[in-house]
Amino acid sequence: MAPPRRAPERERYPNIPTADNRLPGVRDYEQVDRDVIATLSPTLGWFAALGLAILALLLGIVAWTYQIYEGLGAAGYQPPVMWGVYIVSFVFWVGIGHAGTLISAILYLFRAGFRTTIYRAAEAMTVFAVMTAGLFPILHLGRPWKFFWLIPYPNWRLIWPNPKSPLVWDVFAILTYLTVSATFFYVGLIPDIAVLRDQERNPIRKRIFAVLALGWRNSDREWRHFTRAYLFLAAFATPLVLSVHSVVSFDFAMALTPGWHATIFPPYFVAGAIFSGIGMVFTIIIPIRKYFKLEHMVTINDLDAAAKLCLFTSMVVGLAYITEFQVAWMSGNAVEQEYFWNRVFGQWWWAAWIMLICNMVLPLSLFSQKLRRNTSWLFILSIFINIGMWFERFVIVIPSLSHEFEPWQWGGYHPTWVDYFILIGSFGWFFMWFLLFIRQLPVMAISEVKEIIPPKLRHAAVGHHHLTHGEVAEPRVTGTIRPAGGTH
Amino acid sequence: MQGVLGAFAEIDATVEAIQDLRKKNFGDITVYTPTPRHELEDALDAPKSGVRRFTLIGGLLGVTFGYWVAIWISDYWPLVVGGKPVASWIPYTIIGFELMVLFGSLSTVFGMFALSRIPRLTMTVGYDPRFSHGDYGIWVVAGADRVAEATDVLRRHGALEVRNER
Repeated sequence: MAPPRRAPERERYPNIPTADNRLPGVRDYEQVDRDVIATLSPTLGWFAALGLAILALLLGIVAWTYQIYEGLGAAGYQPPVMWGVYIVSFVFWVGIGHAGTLISAILYLFRAGFRTTIYRAAEAMTVFAVMTAGLFPILHLGRPWKFFWLIPYPNWRLIWPNPKSPLVWDVFAILTYLTVSATFFYVGLIPDIAVLRDQERNPIRKRIFAVLALGWRNSDREWRHFTRAYLFLAAFATPLVLSVHSVVSFDFAMALTPGWHATIFPPYFVAGAIFSGIGMVFTIIIPIRKYFKLEHMVTINDLDAAAKLCLFTSMVVGLAYITEFQVAWMSGNAVEQEYFWNRVFGQWWWAAWIMLICNMVLPLSLFSQKLRRNTSWLFILSIFINIGMWFERFVIVIPSLSHEFEPWQWGGYHPTWVDYFILIGSFGWFFMWFLLFIRQLPVMAISEVKEIIPPKLRHAAVGHHHLTHGEVAEPRVTGTIRPAGGTH
Repeated sequence: MQGVLGAFAEIDATVEAIQDLRKKNFGDITVYTPTPRHELEDALDAPKSGVRRFTLIGGLLGVTFGYWVAIWISDYWPLVVGGKPVASWIPYTIIGFELMVLFGSLSTVFGMFALSRIPRLTMTVGYDPRFSHGDYGIWVVAGADRVAEATDVLRRHGALEVRNER
């Protein structure tokens, strides 16, 4: 009798076990070095992209020069809207940075294996995004060359900044964040630069790498202190990343302006920051993966896991949006209710709907495993998220200022070419640094990727074969063999 | 410094060689590995890293300085509002926290550098570029009378290459 016919089983991928990441397409440590070092040779496409980024930066420089000459009026500020594109972009870029620290530090503490191959690019993104964000408060100053007055230092004027001001908290938070994330980035790079030093043939580059590697020798003593220091830096960076965007949110929440004065702001901002940053990680990592042919390293499983994180943070952000409306509705405060009605149906309705659709509706597509594993969709979605998150900050800043308590205070806002050019310039500045980074330094953490590659064994080698690309890896019994990253 | 350097392709062979060398009372052993592995640490039985002390001291100094500078500024240039105290610890916690993270992180890195003895200007003896690539290395400090014994141990455990250096 013929066996009963069964419906063919739907193709299913396993859920990604977080701490148990495997790279079946990578055979050994040497291949990791070869594949990552291969990304360092400049190509014509790279020069073209770098040229474009520098051109965009030049547009920004031209606009800023004009603004310094003409005064801040050139930037389209119209009372009562005295915070415009610069503050919107400041919050946007600080937010972009947050996902890098989430991936490099928080997911490290949580033992999330999928971070291993994407964290270096994400951490670089953090450093460059914070460098970009830091420019905007300076651009927003009438006399930008006096920006250092915000730092408390002994001076002949005998004047000190007010430590109760959110703007001073910002200075401490952003400078600490920039310093700590740059330090974390560089410390993680030291063993990888040592690999470049040892593999490089060009004497000038070898010398530069030798200086940057600080004489790192991969000795047990170095690794012992390195893994400890790395763990403590991750432990510091974790509360730091939560504090930084909380402090940025205080810039708004400490004011009495409708739509801003809410206790929900710190968690709302942190979730939004991480969401926007993950969007930017996809925007960056998907082309890198394809262009450098690193599909066997940044696996589709890694992207799937990151997409789940994106979906989760999108839902947190969506919940925050809805909660804001609910709080306004239940507050009984007519000004607050009027403001939130105006947000979605008033003069800035289009910005609010861009925000809601890009950040709340479109990411729901990631409930589908098929779409989570579709890199083209992830890339397209990431662009929508970037746009949506920029508009989220626009919706926070502009409608509140243009629609305060009294109708006679209400006004409009029209950004000028200076605002747009500086915004374009900020993308140019960010991508210029990022493009320089991906061709000069390893875009993937070589030593950490090696941690997830099974080491060569003399005794257990019998019967073992290296897996070819795409083959499903079975858990290997390797006795006491385990990588030593972090906690001991 | 005189000693023997052995390069190994496999981790289990490296671990066995370390254990054997320690059994034979070779005290000063340095192991090179392209990525940190627990089994090498276990074989060496090295003490815990002291980086944590730097982290603690840096963090405590940072938080103290953060509160202190904010309180000092408030007292130096008092902005009295509604008769409330000029120094308010709640907002100053932000400055205290940020400086704790800043000083704590920087002193952690300083501690790591100091304890690992980097930056190092010269590579000295007992290193090979292959140790950052894929192979493991063992550098044993041995006087002229024990060089032969150390070489023998490394060879017996399957070293790809053994060489004397000074």
